[in-house]
Amino acid sequence: MTSPTDPELDRIVERMLSGDEASRREFLRRLAGTGLAFSSSAALLAACGGVKGENSGGGKLSASSVHHPKVPIGDWTFSNWPLYIDKKVLKSFDKKFGGHVNYVEDINDNFEFYAKVRQQLQAKKSINRDIVALTDYMAARWVRNGYTEPFDQKNVPNAKNLNAALRHPLWDPKRQYSLPWQSGGTIIGYNKAKISKKPTSIKDLFNPAYKGRVTFFSEAYDSAGLVMLMQGVDPSTAKLPQILKAIDVIDKANKAGQIRRFTGNDYTTDLAKGNVWITMAYSGDLVQLQADNKNIDYVFPKEGGMLFTDNMMIPAKAAHPYAAETMMNYCYDPAVAAKIAAFVNYITPVDGAQAVLEKSDPKTAHNPLIFPSEQLRSSLHAYPTLTSTEEQQMRSRMAQVTGG
Amino acid sequence: MLRLNSSSRRALWPYVLLFPGLVWLLVFFVAPLANQLNVSLQTGNVESGFSFSWHFATYTDALKQFDTQFFRSLIYAGVATLLDFLIAFPLAYFIAFKAGRLKNLMLLLVVLPFFTSYLVRTTAWQLILSDNGWVVSRLRDVGVLGANGRLLATSTAVIAGITYNFMPFMALPLYVSLEKIDRRLVEAATDLYASRATAFRRITLPLALPGIFAGTLLCFIPAVGDFINAQLLGTPQQYMIGNVIQSQFIELQNYPTASALSFVLMAAILVGIAIYARVLGARNLMDAAV
Repeated sequence: MTSPTDPELDRIVERMLSGDEASRREFLRRLAGTGLAFSSSAALLAACGGVKGENSGGGKLSASSVHHPKVPIGDWTFSNWPLYIDKKVLKSFDKKFGGHVNYVEDINDNFEFYAKVRQQLQAKKSINRDIVALTDYMAARWVRNGYTEPFDQKNVPNAKNLNAALRHPLWDPKRQYSLPWQSGGTIIGYNKAKISKKPTSIKDLFNPAYKGRVTFFSEAYDSAGLVMLMQGVDPSTAKLPQILKAIDVIDKANKAGQIRRFTGNDYTTDLAKGNVWITMAYSGDLVQLQADNKNIDYVFPKEGGMLFTDNMMIPAKAAHPYAAETMMNYCYDPAVAAKIAAFVNYITPVDGAQAVLEKSDPKTAHNPLIFPSEQLRSSLHAYPTLTSTEEQQMRSRMAQVTGG
Repeated sequence: MLRLNSSSRRALWPYVLLFPGLVWLLVFFVAPLANQLNVSLQTGNVESGFSFSWHFATYTDALKQFDTQFFRSLIYAGVATLLDFLIAFPLAYFIAFKAGRLKNLMLLLVVLPFFTSYLVRTTAWQLILSDNGWVVSRLRDVGVLGANGRLLATSTAVIAGITYNFMPFMALPLYVSLEKIDRRLVEAATDLYASRATAFRRITLPLALPGIFAGTLLCFIPAVGDFINAQLLGTPQQYMIGNVIQSQFIELQNYPTASALSFVLMAAILVGIAIYARVLGARNLMDAAV
């Protein structure tokens, strides 16, 4: 952790004053890393162009004077990814607070889900959901276009349990519109029966001995992110040209036959069957894969990995913001968070959950995939923050590579 | 009150019968197609919205960028259709003329795989062709595949998958047209000193033409637009135009390009069918069908 008097920080400030865009972002990130909450950060960011977007300043709802009065919970809707909660948590929530949560597992892909609700959002209509959980880059898009309702912080006192590393994302520096649901690492999984020498580096994905036995993620944020780490570039502050350069490397490897397939979550079958020997993998999947197949192992690459976070947000015009906030508050109770973490096997953003599990389920509490050490956690890097045009360019280029 | 005389009432009757079908076509075919044409000429992006701008360059850009996948689709679908014909013709012939009491059972067996989902069937092939599976091991033993060779994630696997998945579409129309053939025509031919081969070439094959035509179209058209087989059994090097349209539409939300590609695909198929019907002889087809 950096302190504000860090000499490196001084250097960055100097570079920033001389007009270096990269150092501006780095400065903000580091400042955020110190846990230094400064009230005008949003304004500063806007001035620096950190979160530019076509609609910035446009439809965004004001966060300063949010008040969501206490009302009966009623029937409300929570949209999430499949298998991403212990359903007992929903039952006990209903029992404790009344009303009924309509829990729908209809988010399978950030962009697909966005396409589904885009027209209502742009017409400023309700999408009939009170919580949605979306990954960082998509959450950023929703925040910058004003598709989200700010929180009434008084209704979410447990947000104080949020892990310090996640408190100040560039796209929502004060967490006024979003609260992490779970995080996960993009790291490396491999089959011990096929690879005798334990891999240590992202470079191992490019080892010619594994030609045709490697899968990559088709999501550029993950694939290009890992390749940039291999190249010594910090992906969280990376610029478009650096990202495109990383995609070129993937393109070359693909054309050489190194990469067998580009996948979403479906890489697990090939890995478990032994068709693929080494692969980019999501930390949460690896827990399950290891439980099913003794030969599957994982490694946090020495260059680092990527960290993604799925964020709970209240869509604009939601009918039950108080119910949504009550649920978020409930999930940030360490005891509840522990239950969720033990079920979904991803990295919980709630401090204190590990302490709860130490007693009830020490095996889970000591699994580095679910509770990575401070050192491992800091080796995981956030996704870069891109403008919508940059994001589109990145994804189109990646589609060219993955589309043959 | 308007009174129609009986002859004009008779003239209107076909249109009344056609009405439900026409409405159906209008709502579920013409309207979406018009919308698709509109979308294909728009510009913009998913975040700031799209607007109509007569942007014909989308078509040329899309064709230039994805010509490889286009040709690949035509070739894969063509090869698979040919293989289907070679497999299904003897099968349909056997069922129609030789199966006897087993006819219905065999027809049931042809369609039986359709009782499970397309996706599940294709995923099953992933397991069958798996690198550590029985099939690949045996092929390595006999030297067809190298020590590190594979079937999964190759063109062979994709074409095999398409062939497998569309085979009944070929077999059933072939069976229907073969079954209709009056066997006495073949007898007459042999009575007139035609060899069995000549009788087959001059009688059976021409009379089976409508089935061949229908079967080819039923196989080829969906196969060209297929993306499941390439997705599950192939790699990006095997991706077909269906994969591109799918990714442009769902993943990149580049609706204009996706619409333009769909249009080009449709046009290409229509032109292909027209040429095919010409070569085969539409007149012959009609004659044979009567």
